[in-house]
Amino acid sequence: MKFTFDWMQEYVDLPTSDPEEIAEALESLGHEVEGWERTSHRFEGVVVGRVLEVGAHPNADKVRVTKVDVGNEVLDIICGAWNFEAGAVVPVAVPGAVLQGDFKITQRKIRGIVSNGMICSESELEVGDDAAGIMVLDDDYPNAAERLGEDFVGLLPADDVVFDVSITPNRPDCMSVYGLARELAAFYKLPLVEPDLELPGGEAATSVTIVDDVACPRFVGREVRGITVGASPHKIRARLTAAGVRPISNVVDASNYAMMEFGHPTHAFDVDRLGDIVVVRRAAQGEPITTLDDVERELESIDIVVADGGKPVAIAGVMGGADTEVTDETTNVFIEAAYWDPPSVLLTSKRLGLRSEASARFERGMDPEFCRFAADRVAQILVETAGGTVAGVVDEYPAPPAPRSIELYMSEIERLLGIRLEPEAASDLLERFGFRSTGDDPLIVDVPTRRPDVHRPADLIEEIARLYGYDNIPGRLRFGDGLGLPVREQMVRTLRSVMMGAGYHEIFSFSFIGAADLDALQLPEDDPARTGITVVNPLRDEEGVMRTTLLPGLLKAASSNLAKRLDDVRIFELGKVFLPGDGVLPDQPDRLGFVAAGGAMSGWDGETPGYDVYDATGLWEMVARSMRLEGTELRATERAPFHPGRAAEIVHDGAVIGIVGEIHPAVAATHGIEGRAIAGEIEVDPIVVEGESWQFEVPSSYPPQVFDLAFELDSSVPAGVLLEAIDAVDQGMIEKRVIFDVYEGDPIPDGRKSVAINLTVRAPDRTLSDEDVAPIRRSIVEAVEAATGGTLRGSV
Amino acid sequence: MDPTANLSEPMETHEILEQLTSESPARIDEAGTVDELEDLAAEITGKRSPIAAGRRSLGTVPPDQRRDLGRAINDVAVELNALIDKRRAVLEAAEASEALASDRVDVTLPGRVPARGTTHLIQQVMDEIVDIFVAMGYTAATGPEVETEFYNFTALNFPVAHPTRLESDTLYLDYGDDPEGVLLRTHTSPMQARYMEEHEPPVYLVVPGRVFRRDPVDSTHSPVFHQIEGLAVDTDITFGDLKGVLDHFAREFLGPEIKTKFIPHHFPFTEPSAEMHVYANDRWMELLGCGMVHPAVFEAVGYDPDEVTGFAFGMGADRLAMVRHGITDLRHLFDPDRRILEQYR
Repeated sequence: MKFTFDWMQEYVDLPTSDPEEIAEALESLGHEVEGWERTSHRFEGVVVGRVLEVGAHPNADKVRVTKVDVGNEVLDIICGAWNFEAGAVVPVAVPGAVLQGDFKITQRKIRGIVSNGMICSESELEVGDDAAGIMVLDDDYPNAAERLGEDFVGLLPADDVVFDVSITPNRPDCMSVYGLARELAAFYKLPLVEPDLELPGGEAATSVTIVDDVACPRFVGREVRGITVGASPHKIRARLTAAGVRPISNVVDASNYAMMEFGHPTHAFDVDRLGDIVVVRRAAQGEPITTLDDVERELESIDIVVADGGKPVAIAGVMGGADTEVTDETTNVFIEAAYWDPPSVLLTSKRLGLRSEASARFERGMDPEFCRFAADRVAQILVETAGGTVAGVVDEYPAPPAPRSIELYMSEIERLLGIRLEPEAASDLLERFGFRSTGDDPLIVDVPTRRPDVHRPADLIEEIARLYGYDNIPGRLRFGDGLGLPVREQMVRTLRSVMMGAGYHEIFSFSFIGAADLDALQLPEDDPARTGITVVNPLRDEEGVMRTTLLPGLLKAASSNLAKRLDDVRIFELGKVFLPGDGVLPDQPDRLGFVAAGGAMSGWDGETPGYDVYDATGLWEMVARSMRLEGTELRATERAPFHPGRAAEIVHDGAVIGIVGEIHPAVAATHGIEGRAIAGEIEVDPIVVEGESWQFEVPSSYPPQVFDLAFELDSSVPAGVLLEAIDAVDQGMIEKRVIFDVYEGDPIPDGRKSVAINLTVRAPDRTLSDEDVAPIRRSIVEAVEAATGGTLRGSV
Repeated sequence: MDPTANLSEPMETHEILEQLTSESPARIDEAGTVDELEDLAAEITGKRSPIAAGRRSLGTVPPDQRRDLGRAINDVAVELNALIDKRRAVLEAAEASEALASDRVDVTLPGRVPARGTTHLIQQVMDEIVDIFVAMGYTAATGPEVETEFYNFTALNFPVAHPTRLESDTLYLDYGDDPEGVLLRTHTSPMQARYMEEHEPPVYLVVPGRVFRRDPVDSTHSPVFHQIEGLAVDTDITFGDLKGVLDHFAREFLGPEIKTKFIPHHFPFTEPSAEMHVYANDRWMELLGCGMVHPAVFEAVGYDPDEVTGFAFGMGADRLAMVRHGITDLRHLFDPDRRILEQYR
């Protein structure tokens, strides 16, 4: 909320005018100052003048010729405004004056007659928003007529400062100049000016019936009769403008001014259009109302309305109705000041998209005790600015708030803040914010009705701490007894560092995808990844579904890099996917996804190769080894978006936990990827399982026997079968087996292939002799032949 | 040398040795390559050399001369071998340095850089912050990103009609039939409630994670961002502890000289609440929100607010990364451009 220093000074005599100091004081109280700005006048050479004569221009209909007394001389000035006559005191820009920073005023001829300057409007001087007529220095400037020829700046308030303060939602009582004045008075230990307001009572002509006292525990109506609708005085319009509220008419302005001043929103009805019956109730479902903005709206049964005998005439706390709106012809008004149920106002205003300064206050909770004052304050302003007289008042108060008092023990203050206060000190701090207390320890503290946020000792302790000063509470460094980083988190970090070590860069993409992203993967219609959970209220269609796979984000990232000629892309992401499950919440497992593409960069000594499926399977093997994952196997698979002949499922404990391989060329092509690209997506949970601590093995100090074997097998037999067969020959001595050649063609018969393996066999406790190795070699040959149906080709 | 010489004649042998001794040193010195030298060595001292022949013939030499002759042969062999070895060393050194010279390359041509990737900056920042608190005796946990309205709001003392519960602020999912609704968590704070429900006090916990709000993307907003939540609950935690711990954190994360201040704020789940500001880049700026755990939160999770007190805090990892590394637009953090990712080393 915005307010001026000058306005604040009316309620508390601040010891400083330094905006920085005031901003710091407000901030230390918890009211963040978003900014402050000096309002300085950007004109010079403007003096006070009195119009002596007004006459017609011989050659022009739309302007008049005036004689203006500017103290030491009388000037002829041509003026296009018609809102004044002889006798008006006005600001005059004499030749040589400069307006709005650089607009120079000179003598000039207008239709044959010389004009010696310009009579100014508010907007030309930037002291208000009125551009229609010139600025007449009326009752707001009582001494103006005695100061002819003096600099007009002298009549304006001194340079002012506009503060913009952000009020936290728990403090509706601070959404006003007076509310913040109370806080600053407490801070500076200064008295707060008590506003003086005595208006006559008397019964209002309008009767009020409250049907739902939860919706409306109090409703005050104050009648003001005989007003003339017009513009507000300059001071009111200037302050409203500074506060970010557009001046409209003296009636609307009075309501807004009182709201900015004391916080409580009010609404003015044209009482002659309203009638003499007011009913406060919930709307009927579907009940229509045409609001001030001439929009017909359909109400729901949660909405609170002010109705006349039959139809709604206002949506309570949100917007008035067009039928009872104050117009230029209005002479009698009924000012409503009520307490509206905060949740109802919130839901109604949000649903209708009608959020306003008023609804923002009601939805946080106003002070029901303040309603009468609020209505009377508006009436008082109207009497001053619209010439009305105060008439009757109606005050229905079916549900006053129960008095709230809280027991506050000094030990509780110490328990929460770590400081020890004497009861008098605590009582004094609370008193400064307007909390009266009795007793000693505990203090019995009465909570003002304007404070809907204070219910418990902790709430009072916050008040004490705010005024005591958070900075004055000594800090204490205190360590916990938590058990550090859990093993799973450590293992996830290891997983990330393995990917980093393999040259992959981690990306963070959004957790949403759109249906188009799955189409781009060319997933079949029945693919489980298509059963994503939809977002009810997404900001954009392409963020309408929770991701079921990490691949769209990775492929798009790869694609965008390649499009920018960033040719070698190796990226990974570790994050959640979201899948329908059995519980209250969806399944949200972590996955590791990766993509590598491009990679054909040429260096000075030749080209680095691109990527193929063996880079993907090899990367997985590196991951599995790093995570000490035993007993996983790869199985050929055909699954979108992978190449049907170049992808493998990862099988662990009988379950498929991931897939690695080459991206289907068609999918790669739609992503602008040329050549082979690899990808993978692996469940994280199964690979970050905490196992027994690994146990050290002493390496053998004896030399190995190294020999080669070559088998001829059917081309369709996967090499994996052969390797599994060798691994199953558990001699505890087969240290290493490396396939170093796979060959098809002459002299191997068609449909057969030769696979050559280099084996390293080593004993832990002795040097192996040829005789030792022979049976191992025989076992291997037998196992491989049995598993693959192949035959030994003889040692290579 | 005359291979037909009668080596059984000691006198002849002596002559031959003399001849060898006088002629060989010059020839050895003249050998230009190791190969030439080896050929020469074979001729002079090898198996078919006069020296070898002389040794073989010692058996036929009269016994009284055998000893002298043997010694003479040996002396010559030793002398010549020494010369050969010396020459070989010279020649080998020359040849080795010639080979190295021809192996010379331009060492300023770019080397082959092993590929090294990076972890994401936000992840690094989250890990670093977690580690700072782990070093202060905290443990870490993560929680679900899709949450129930209960854990995200209700258990944290948000009023039923709190504005952030509305669909204008929070992303809801079409899932299940929980009457309170399933949503994308708007902060990491739901883990406060979940963790306390599962664990008895004391609690010293940090929770890094991804959170969501219904904010369109711009330079300071994103529907997806990241937080680190902290919670300390014990029998005697005070606001002073909150200040001490978070001040220590700021100094560890931003440098020992960093200045902090705490100003009052409002969060539904803490009371009193505060923001910690730090003085960085020539101005005060908000670093995190914090406060003493609200008694209503303790009640919601089954802790007795008369028995325990605690503090909680939450901070934005993305923002902290931006502050520390001079990133002025949040969108860069979600950009997978390799030139950006490579900076995260």
